[in-house]
Amino acid sequence: MISQFLEFVSSLDLLARGAESELRKGHYYGVPAVYKLRRRKEYMDPSLDSDLRRARTLKEAKVLSVASRANIPVPLLLAVYPSIGLLVMQYIEGERLKEALDRGVSGHCDLARRAGAILGMLHEHGISHGDPTTSNYIITDSGDLYIIDFGLADFTSEIEDLAVDIHLFRRAVSSSHARLAEDLARCFIEGYSSVRGEKARPVIERAEEIMLRGRYVEERRTVWKP
Amino acid sequence: MVSAATPSSSARNRGSTVVLGIESTAHTFGVGIVSSAPPYILADARRQYIPKEGGILPREVAQFFSRVAGDVLREALSQAGVDPRDISGVAVALGPGMGPALRVGATVARALSSRLGVPLIAVNHAIAHIEIARFLTGLRDPVVLYVSGGNTTVMSYSAGRYRVFGETLDISLGNMLDTFARETGLGPPYVVSGKHVVDICAEKGEFMRGFPYVVKGQDVSYSGLLTAALRAYKRNPESLPNICYTLREIGFSSSVEVTERCLAHVGKHEVILTGGVAANDELNRKLSIMVRPHNARFRRIPKKYAGDNGVMIALTGLLELLHGVGIVEPERAFIRQRWRPDRVDVPWYPKTLGDV
Repeated sequence: MISQFLEFVSSLDLLARGAESELRKGHYYGVPAVYKLRRRKEYMDPSLDSDLRRARTLKEAKVLSVASRANIPVPLLLAVYPSIGLLVMQYIEGERLKEALDRGVSGHCDLARRAGAILGMLHEHGISHGDPTTSNYIITDSGDLYIIDFGLADFTSEIEDLAVDIHLFRRAVSSSHARLAEDLARCFIEGYSSVRGEKARPVIERAEEIMLRGRYVEERRTVWKP
Repeated sequence: MVSAATPSSSARNRGSTVVLGIESTAHTFGVGIVSSAPPYILADARRQYIPKEGGILPREVAQFFSRVAGDVLREALSQAGVDPRDISGVAVALGPGMGPALRVGATVARALSSRLGVPLIAVNHAIAHIEIARFLTGLRDPVVLYVSGGNTTVMSYSAGRYRVFGETLDISLGNMLDTFARETGLGPPYVVSGKHVVDICAEKGEFMRGFPYVVKGQDVSYSGLLTAALRAYKRNPESLPNICYTLREIGFSSSVEVTERCLAHVGKHEVILTGGVAANDELNRKLSIMVRPHNARFRRIPKKYAGDNGVMIALTGLLELLHGVGIVEPERAFIRQRWRPDRVDVPWYPKTLGDV
């Protein structure tokens, strides 16, 4: 039964393969859906592997459902199978923000502002995204902006964890969209601050600190000149 | 053969360039001698400081190094059978490492380079671990997992330097294993007939639930795992084999997982493991399994060169000398306890010694 189901999932079109999981495109009761399967890691003890996949799948499902309930634009959770590490969620049809920026979409500042606002809403609900790069925002045909891929997300209100999100967006734009980087970062933070108000400042300050701390090296080379 | 960046003294040396390297960052005082021509490695002399009890105290290590330095140096020179005047450069690991230990190596190196009148070459210890692994495994453009008593770092080359993609947020993998062994009476010594005492203890163990597995993005953390393991031991000393197994299983799996994330991110097809813990069979086994679905290759470094040694310092120093980087004035050869590998240019990459 389970093996037949896994066979069915494996027969779907592959969208992407990461270190962690495989994304496939299909339907779920008629709804266009993404099947996210965390594959077994052969190098781990089977108990550790199944515990981790179960915990990570459940965590991601929980984050998605909390975010949806808070009306944050994330894919709807359609189904979750923790024992096999499978999540099924709404397929968001559209273009990645990264690609839109690469082809010189108009209103880049507005898009960055809305991206920042979405991250701000997640943080307001105690969720860190863990990987908020421009590849993980999608613009639909109707112009709505969604945030996807909660594989590294967590429930947290630690300033440090939230600041890492801001830092990651900034690092992503400085490497992928160098020409617009300053604009994008500024507008992103505007959007973020508009949602979080007073609570934005310590997070943004910490993000600056992280940049200078030297764990994330590319930035230090540009900021810190020996 | 190699002449452009090579100082005049090498003219005496049948066209090859010979560098002597000194390692003294942690518990090993090592002197290696490497030539730019086959058989490349001419000498490998070392002495390891092994505490009778407890951990490693930097001051005691430094005293030990001061006592053995002369002998190790003499031993290396006699192994190599080279006249000291045939040496074209003296390389030294100036960091990262323990201050008092580093100072001994730096002092010996300054004296030797002044005496011989040859350049002093500053080598980053972490980079030396990568270079010896690249040289010996034949893998030229790998993702590197560097694990030792002081380090747990995932690195890979990008745009001129080795970049750090992930690392431990607190203690290193080797430090976690040694501390656990010490607190539970399994060690020291930490390594018995080539195996770590935690590995031996884990042989009859099974996986226990309830220990923290901490991977944050590309980084790992071990201090919570160590605390949980020690607490479990206090509660139930009879379950020590299970605790050993679980501690090792989580520690190794999480470091392999961050290596896997780096591999997927950078899209390379080679993985190497280096550093003292690279001698560990179980960690090698896990990495060799990990690479399969990524169509990548993993090769292990010979056990002898996994841990700290002078050869890797000489090899890296030689590459630096041949490319005209890393040469420092003896009076400015300061030790750098927290010297990060991503501060060092590696213009020879992806080539290594012997590549045309």
